[in-house]
Amino acid sequence: MADTLGAFEQAVLLALLRLGDDAYGRAIMKDVQERLEREVAAGAVHATLERLQRKALITSRLGSGTPVRAGRARRYYRIQPSGIRALNDAREAVDALWHGFRWPLQKARSHS
Amino acid sequence: MSESEAERNPPAWAEEMLRLLLKPEDRETVSGDLLEEYRVSIVPSRGRARADVWYVRQVMGFVWRSAWMWGVLLAASIIGRDALDWWLSPTSDFYARSLVSTTLAVVLFACAGALTAWRSRSIRSGVFAGIATGLIAGVLVNMGSLVMLAIRHDPHTMAMIKASGGLDEAFSLPFFVTLPGIVCATVGAVAARTLSYVVRSRAAQ
Repeated sequence: MADTLGAFEQAVLLALLRLGDDAYGRAIMKDVQERLEREVAAGAVHATLERLQRKALITSRLGSGTPVRAGRARRYYRIQPSGIRALNDAREAVDALWHGFRWPLQKARSHS
Repeated sequence: MSESEAERNPPAWAEEMLRLLLKPEDRETVSGDLLEEYRVSIVPSRGRARADVWYVRQVMGFVWRSAWMWGVLLAASIIGRDALDWWLSPTSDFYARSLVSTTLAVVLFACAGALTAWRSRSIRSGVFAGIATGLIAGVLVNMGSLVMLAIRHDPHTMAMIKASGGLDEAFSLPFFVTLPGIVCATVGAVAARTLSYVVRSRAAQ
């Protein structure tokens, strides 16, 4: 595993997988907000998408605009096979950490 | 969403600020995403005034991301200098320290301007990064100075503070530094744009 994904990066990549061909900036932000159950900053999503693109885990293409966004273009993102691998690695790493525990955790036994 | 809500616009100055900070290829798409969210979700659910606050907060997030590192470094250098003058090694000869801290501030402002201008391909955004760097540093230094004062305010420390310029200077200087800082950031931005032009011209040949 070359570079472990952070939790927010995983949330963004999973949003791309869920949204498929409709994965553009605002839709990704809404999906991440819904999953994390908190408001997320557009700047944080944008910076993460830029970073994932730099790592070649995703690609993007320009789409057309709509009247509600004053005709401004949408940028659609797509996850790459390297992105899928990175998500699998991240999941494996978490599973390895949890190996041997049953979830939800019970109260720890006190040391006497 | 009513027709009028679909035509509502966020504060123009905030939108201009956002576009200034983005790379040319992201200006339309990112500002379009925010405008769509503002019109489709935020205005209908929160009303116009709170939607404007939401928009400005989002833009401030972009401002913070563009300049926080330079602001924090500048604040750290000023707070470090204050700690030296007030607590660690008070002196009456400030020449060497002033030279070092001034040079450091010049370099940090110039780097903020240069890197932001390089990234966004706009001199104006480099100038803006200088302003943001100075303001972030000013707020952080004031908070740091208050903490330092809360920790130690015995007569000896107060005398050292007075000898190094006094409390007025400690709290106001970080903001005044922003003015020459803008000049340094502009120089950095112009240098970065010139360098970028030369590199592109050579690559095209």
